[in-house]
Amino acid sequence: MTCDDFQLQLTAFSLGELSSDERQQARDHVAACDDCASRMLRDRQLTALTRTSAVPAPEATRTAVLAAVRAEAAKAAPAPATPAPERLPARRVRRRHWVALAAALLAAAAVVAAALLVVPAPDPGSPLAAAWSSYHARGKDGLGTPSPKEAERLFAVLGPDSRPPDLAGYGLRQDGWEGRDLAGHVAAVAEYRDHEGGRLTLMRWRGELPAVARAPAGSGLKAYRWGRHTSYWWRADGVVWCMVGTIDQDQLYEIAEHLGGESSGAELG
Amino acid sequence: MDLEGFEAATVPHMNTLYDAAVRLAGDHATAQDLTQETYLRALRSFATFEAGSNCRAWLLRIQYNLFCTQYRRGRRMPLVWLDEGEPDPALELPSDEPGPEEQTVRELDREAVRRAIARLPEDFRMAVTLVDINGLTCAEAATVMDVPRGTILSRLHRARRRLEAMLLPELGRVQADDL
Repeated sequence: MTCDDFQLQLTAFSLGELSSDERQQARDHVAACDDCASRMLRDRQLTALTRTSAVPAPEATRTAVLAAVRAEAAKAAPAPATPAPERLPARRVRRRHWVALAAALLAAAAVVAAALLVVPAPDPGSPLAAAWSSYHARGKDGLGTPSPKEAERLFAVLGPDSRPPDLAGYGLRQDGWEGRDLAGHVAAVAEYRDHEGGRLTLMRWRGELPAVARAPAGSGLKAYRWGRHTSYWWRADGVVWCMVGTIDQDQLYEIAEHLGGESSGAELG
Repeated sequence: MDLEGFEAATVPHMNTLYDAAVRLAGDHATAQDLTQETYLRALRSFATFEAGSNCRAWLLRIQYNLFCTQYRRGRRMPLVWLDEGEPDPALELPSDEPGPEEQTVRELDREAVRRAIARLPEDFRMAVTLVDINGLTCAEAATVMDVPRGTILSRLHRARRRLEAMLLPELGRVQADDL
């Protein structure tokens, strides 16, 4: 192993990320080379120094975070039932659950329906139509990953937003992404799947929001109905975001709201 | 909702979350918002968290995703670490701690390190924060940042060489028992 080789592998060596053969070669080299032994010492000094800079959460932050968590949990908890109901036969309890679930779904559907604007099919040459075709084009297979050249081109057009966001926190795994031409726009298209096979497609390109999409009441997001599917739209830093999918539609709305609706830079109106 | 289980699993990681938030956001107020929002999101999706899997990496992934999608737009990292205020005079040092002069030197070193880390590009800064400061493995950091493990190693290597150049005077003061 040469000194250049060792320098290249120094970080991996200090983190224990080398194979056993490589590690032995590095050890042998350090034992025989004073310069690289000094380099290794400096690296260890650096990591020791870096560790001292950790910033613990202030007590006020801990208190505020815990208070917010408990308030959220209390909000989500069902209201206490008074007086305590009689114990019902199991079948009746199940039926009650179904009734409550159906009522909740109907209420949610009513809110969403009131909020949406159902409009005629878009102009076939518009980005809206192109996005719709794109959504249908690869419904089953998932996508690959862009070649380095394609990734570079997407980055040049979209900047840091060219990479799809991680939605693992919503139980969605990425199922590939690629660059596509959407009515003359270079677009980054990403696919996600949930554990039940539900699908979410996210498309982004630089341009204007299609005028046909309107904001539902009480929300900054724009929604557009495609048959049984609802797509959500917003624009931030000149980039149009379009999200559509077959996953739970309340969850889809929640993700869209989180990604776009609360963004301070988003143009929503 | 299993609030007790949620708190037991996640609260021990709040220091790590806050440290990463400060380095991503660049100021304490935004870091607190980011930490709080991360916990709220984690609470909402706690049902999807697999008991026994790596809770710290799960939380950090939610936070990093949140930062990338909502906090990063238009944000410029400050080049200078924000002042954390005067040290608390009521804080008494145990007798086996270094004396006041050495403490001062160490505090200056810590500030120098924080400033140097704040000057790194975001990707490098996050790799250093996750692995070197908070002790994640490269594989865990790769999961958090959604990049290959080799990319984390490469970012760490380049970040360390930059830090080394910026912190040369401070390196000489590292004590042998700190290594």
